[in-house]
Amino acid sequence: MQWWSWLIVVVVVIALIAGGVLAVQARRRRGGVIVDPAGPAKTHRRGGRP
Amino acid sequence: MRTSEINKRPVVTMAGEDVAQIRDVIYSAGGGAVGGFTLSGRGLLAGPMKQALAWTSVAALGADAVMIRDEDALEPTQSVLDASASAGGSGGNVLGSQVLTDSGVDLGTVADVVIEVAGMTGGQCDVVGYEIEASEALGTKGTKLLIPLPDTLAASGEHLMVPASAKDFVAQDLAGFGASIDAFRAQLRETT
Repeated sequence: MQWWSWLIVVVVVIALIAGGVLAVQARRRRGGVIVDPAGPAKTHRRGGRP
Repeated sequence: MRTSEINKRPVVTMAGEDVAQIRDVIYSAGGGAVGGFTLSGRGLLAGPMKQALAWTSVAALGADAVMIRDEDALEPTQSVLDASASAGGSGGNVLGSQVLTDSGVDLGTVADVVIEVAGMTGGQCDVVGYEIEASEALGTKGTKLLIPLPDTLAASGEHLMVPASAKDFVAQDLAGFGASIDAFRAQLRETT
């Protein structure tokens, strides 16, 4: 493989990792409206009982 | 105002320090009022914080920031959650929950929650309505409508109950919603 092929592979891997980290962060920071909390906040389950 | 407008709003001390941002709105089980907020840190990589903000510690809920006196206003998240929970509370996120009338008609699912702050500072923050994605029962399936809520409300679990007469007071936008809430609550008081 040419040196630039490796460069492309490395750039793609870094972009995928960065995108994954940002997606996880966005999910962790997403807000909601908790009603009648019964323990630690679990806001990512829609409409369910935590 | 809609709770989605508060999410991610910065929490700022009177000294001008930006200490957190709003993550979740905590909605008291029995009273139809906002009990406080959970927080996340500022910055791209910051996650949820172990501290939360009780409504009683909010100095002002402004258009661009939630003001607090100082960082001492923040409390452990669990104590703020416990203060808004009923005994044996079932918990859950209201967004996406199904709204049913007390006669068993599905009105739709909750897309947002509408709150009203009484006075600029120190007033109660009431939950006055839901923005719902309407079901066929309202004749406009899929559209977003505002439905008023009573003064006090039993809200927990997967289904949110509203009086059947609430569907007669739906509004299309926030401009006319205040009048709908007043008319709906007046009608409830007359019938009880």
